[in-house]
Amino acid sequence: MAGKITSLTEAAALVQDGDLLALGGNALTRIPAAFIRELARQERENLRLVKTAGAYDVDLLCAAGAVAQTQTGYVGFENLFGLAPSYRRGVEEGRVQAVEHACSTVIAGLRASAYGLPSQPVAGLDGSDVAAHTGFRQARDPYTGESVFMIPKIRPRFAVLHVTYADAEGNARIDGGAFEDVLMSRAAESVILTAERIEETAFFVEKPDRTAVPAFMVQAVVHAPGGARPGGCHPFYDIDEDAVGAYLDSASGAESLRAHLDSWEASDHAGSAAVSGDVV
Amino acid sequence: MSVAMREGASEEVRATADRMAVFLSRFIRDGELVFHGVASALPMTAMVMARNTHAPNLTYLNIPGGVDPRPSYLPGSTVARQLMEGALSYFTLTEIFDLSARGKLGLAFLGGAQIDARGDMNLSFIGDPAAPNVRLPGGAGSAHILPTARRTVLWRTIHDAKSFPERCDFVTASGNVDAVVTPLCIFEKVGGCLRVKSIHQGVTADALRAATGFDLGDLERAPTTPEPTGAERTALHAADPEGVRLREFI
Repeated sequence: MAGKITSLTEAAALVQDGDLLALGGNALTRIPAAFIRELARQERENLRLVKTAGAYDVDLLCAAGAVAQTQTGYVGFENLFGLAPSYRRGVEEGRVQAVEHACSTVIAGLRASAYGLPSQPVAGLDGSDVAAHTGFRQARDPYTGESVFMIPKIRPRFAVLHVTYADAEGNARIDGGAFEDVLMSRAAESVILTAERIEETAFFVEKPDRTAVPAFMVQAVVHAPGGARPGGCHPFYDIDEDAVGAYLDSASGAESLRAHLDSWEASDHAGSAAVSGDVV
Repeated sequence: MSVAMREGASEEVRATADRMAVFLSRFIRDGELVFHGVASALPMTAMVMARNTHAPNLTYLNIPGGVDPRPSYLPGSTVARQLMEGALSYFTLTEIFDLSARGKLGLAFLGGAQIDARGDMNLSFIGDPAAPNVRLPGGAGSAHILPTARRTVLWRTIHDAKSFPERCDFVTASGNVDAVVTPLCIFEKVGGCLRVKSIHQGVTADALRAATGFDLGDLERAPTTPEPTGAERTALHAADPEGVRLREFI
């Protein structure tokens, strides 16, 4: 068990201040929460975040003062808890630049990068202020003359994905909805995985078509059971609403946020400890 | 919201939630491809119940990608894994956007914090977008889906003059709006403008005018929205026995 297996501490240290990160999962499902908390503990700054729909992940990094910019279609706690308070405050106070996107334009920007193109045409946006506000420009299709919005490529430094299964080399399977994780892995320069379970390579040989991310794209693999908590992760656990509520209670102050991060520290690192134990 | 809080919801809130879920479901046509997104407890409830009333052949699309799921229970998050349960195929959000772009998405439900006289919606900013008073969550897929889906139905659980202004502070999305369902009335979009289609039982024309920030014209002949039928109530409570729909009213 060696390969790319990395401790949570070391994996988070790969991220530099100012990096553009694509965060996997959606809303409160299969989010790389343990990794996010570790970035906050390591006091990373000026991060730029890309995601279709964020919640705890984007809000916690805003609460920690780690975010300079977001490129998102939605950030909120849905009908569970409503608006994302720290994200909201960060934007309203001018500390966080919210680049307004539709989820489809986030996807288009990631597609441009994945396809090796400078931009990607996208349907929709007609009548919306989003294009003018964000600066999306139109081009004329050379065949039909039709006007179409072109979304500039979004090339994250890392896609940070919490997957259900990975091997030590970084082959990854995602059970349940994969959301934009696979696209993010193709759009980013490199991929950091956190995984519920570390499996032997034979697990992937059995059904290679189920391997969502091949090892050659992946830089680091962290064993992080429970790594999406307080979000849910199929088939292992559901969203822990009480724990999400506890986070929201704590996110308003630096001390309470520190206490929140401290309270998760041991469980966040437990997988790394177990893996190094295996090696010994 | 805990079970205790749901049990504590007032009769008025319960009645409004039930009506809105039922009224949303009535816009679903049997056999249609229907989508709801994030933060959509009412449309999720409406779609699940419509399968057991008038639209047994609807195709249910959602963000996790489970096509026609049979969730063991309705989750509080409408992108949760329960929306993969019982599904027979997998169709991602990216593919749903592409489907809509091709003109094949039948109906989408989309929420707005502000919905204006033209039926445009705002989920982005309140106040000046350059220095907003309130940063809202963002419109998710709405800027793509409103203009490309064949039909969309909007909803808003608060009906007041701030929520229904003459013009949105920021137009997050604009497009093929069929109807808007609110706690007080149903609007339809006619000739590029919202018009009252029906007023819910017990709501006076004066109260509706006072709660709306744009001119409603002549309401003399506006009919009363038919109350949920016994069959609709039965289907609603079977679809959502836990009252997840009430979460939209926290």
